[in-house]
Amino acid sequence: MMTRSILLVEDNPDDEMLTLRALKKNNILNAITVAHDGAEALELVFATASGREPLPGLILLDLKLPKIDGLEVLRRLRADERTRIIPVVVLTGSKLEEDILAGYRGGANAYVRKPVNFAEFAEAVKTLGLFWLILNEPVPEFMAQPD
Amino acid sequence: VGQLKLEDGPGFPESELLPAIVKSSDDAIVGATTSGLITTWNPAAENIYGYRAAEIIGQPLTILCSAELAGEIGETLSKIGHGERVVHRETVRRRKDGTTFTVSVTASPIHDRDGRLIGVSAISRDITEQQARAAAELRRRADDLERANQSVESFTYSIAHDLRAPLRALGGYSSALMEDCADDLGEAGRGYAGRILAASQKMSALVDGLLVLSRIARAGMHLEWVDLGAEVARIAADLQGGEPERRVHFVVERPVQARADRALIRTVLQNLLENAWKFTSGQQDALIEFGTVPAGEAGVCCYLRDDGVGFEPAYAGKLFQPFQQLHPASDFPGTGIGLASIKQIVERHRGRAWAEAAVGEGATFYFTLDAEEIA
Repeated sequence: MMTRSILLVEDNPDDEMLTLRALKKNNILNAITVAHDGAEALELVFATASGREPLPGLILLDLKLPKIDGLEVLRRLRADERTRIIPVVVLTGSKLEEDILAGYRGGANAYVRKPVNFAEFAEAVKTLGLFWLILNEPVPEFMAQPD
Repeated sequence: VGQLKLEDGPGFPESELLPAIVKSSDDAIVGATTSGLITTWNPAAENIYGYRAAEIIGQPLTILCSAELAGEIGETLSKIGHGERVVHRETVRRRKDGTTFTVSVTASPIHDRDGRLIGVSAISRDITEQQARAAAELRRRADDLERANQSVESFTYSIAHDLRAPLRALGGYSSALMEDCADDLGEAGRGYAGRILAASQKMSALVDGLLVLSRIARAGMHLEWVDLGAEVARIAADLQGGEPERRVHFVVERPVQARADRALIRTVLQNLLENAWKFTSGQQDALIEFGTVPAGEAGVCCYLRDDGVGFEPAYAGKLFQPFQQLHPASDFPGTGIGLASIKQIVERHRGRAWAEAAVGEGATFYFTLDAEEIA
């Protein structure tokens, strides 16, 4: 079985680079696609959802995004039959954002507070029962090319 | 009206001047007998109440209010019978057409030349408009406050989110430098990168501290009876559980009942106990006491005493300001936000917090709570 890809939705280039670095350093070799705003994320997911390509196995979603914000992205993913089951881990910049999110009953599967460190990421993945996502043997052509 | 000549010209004799003033007044000026039968009724009274003088003179004053308020008029008459006045009493009056309005009434006794009480004068002003203006002003202020709160809210969000992003980059890249480029950096370089990392973490903690304070200031209060002693005992057990090797004797008065917001007061006790725990860490056998002292006017006055390092009493006043630390961070780590939060929470409970100490002789922190009647 092929490893599923991870979609990282992050507009801040520093956070993007540090997140990719944290994942790579911990041998998470899944293909990682990066979307830089909410609109791009939705386009990517729904293009995949209507084609033959597998959906991302996991979405890492920043909350404050240009164009369409993270909560709205989450809402639209959850509103569509094809994408409602994709696990979404919300990346929060602060405790305050976690509070805002808690008030929003819109089904994030887990939160990871930025900066994304491996321990927290692993915990979230464990909570979601997604060990298969990171434990499967990577297929070389799907390897991440972050830099 | 308003052009009465008081000094020259043909003028008015004094006997005509007073009635003219009464006539010209915008306030209803009503004269009545001591038993409350109307004897005088000026044009303003006609306007305000809707009765013509001819139809109301001889009627009881109580015709001017609803049956429920008749007693109030009786009360006023009896006060005047005793030579007292009623000044600017706000009450409700009824017009001829049955509609009601708010007035401010001043009632005084009228005496004859020999000082005998011969009647009552009542001056009343329709204050409906004034009240509406006051209410509008109140609404405007409430709106202003709401807007100010919203802007604090978005400011706080901005601090929480935007200020933190560059800090993450500082911390993240300095760790990356130390991990990925350790050899190239050399020892000095690694040291500098380590300092950048530490500073970014420190600032991150400060930002968190500010957010904690702003949250406390805006948190909703749900008052209930809380046994502070039980809360202290629970926190003490947690602290002991976290460092079972330390020998600390806790003496906790129970119960200590106080009206408080449970979550907020827990923060106070948690901070005080953590401080006491921290500053007694050098003691072989430490003693931490929680109890109450006579509260005077306040609802309750609690203290938490430790026999730790204490502090210079001269600095006691500075303790409760945010980010003030009397001990070097290397000896006792912390962000200096704990006592500032305590002060803020205690003040929200209409209380006061202060500390007494001497170097090497431990510290005692006091706080009062007087939140009984806060809605």
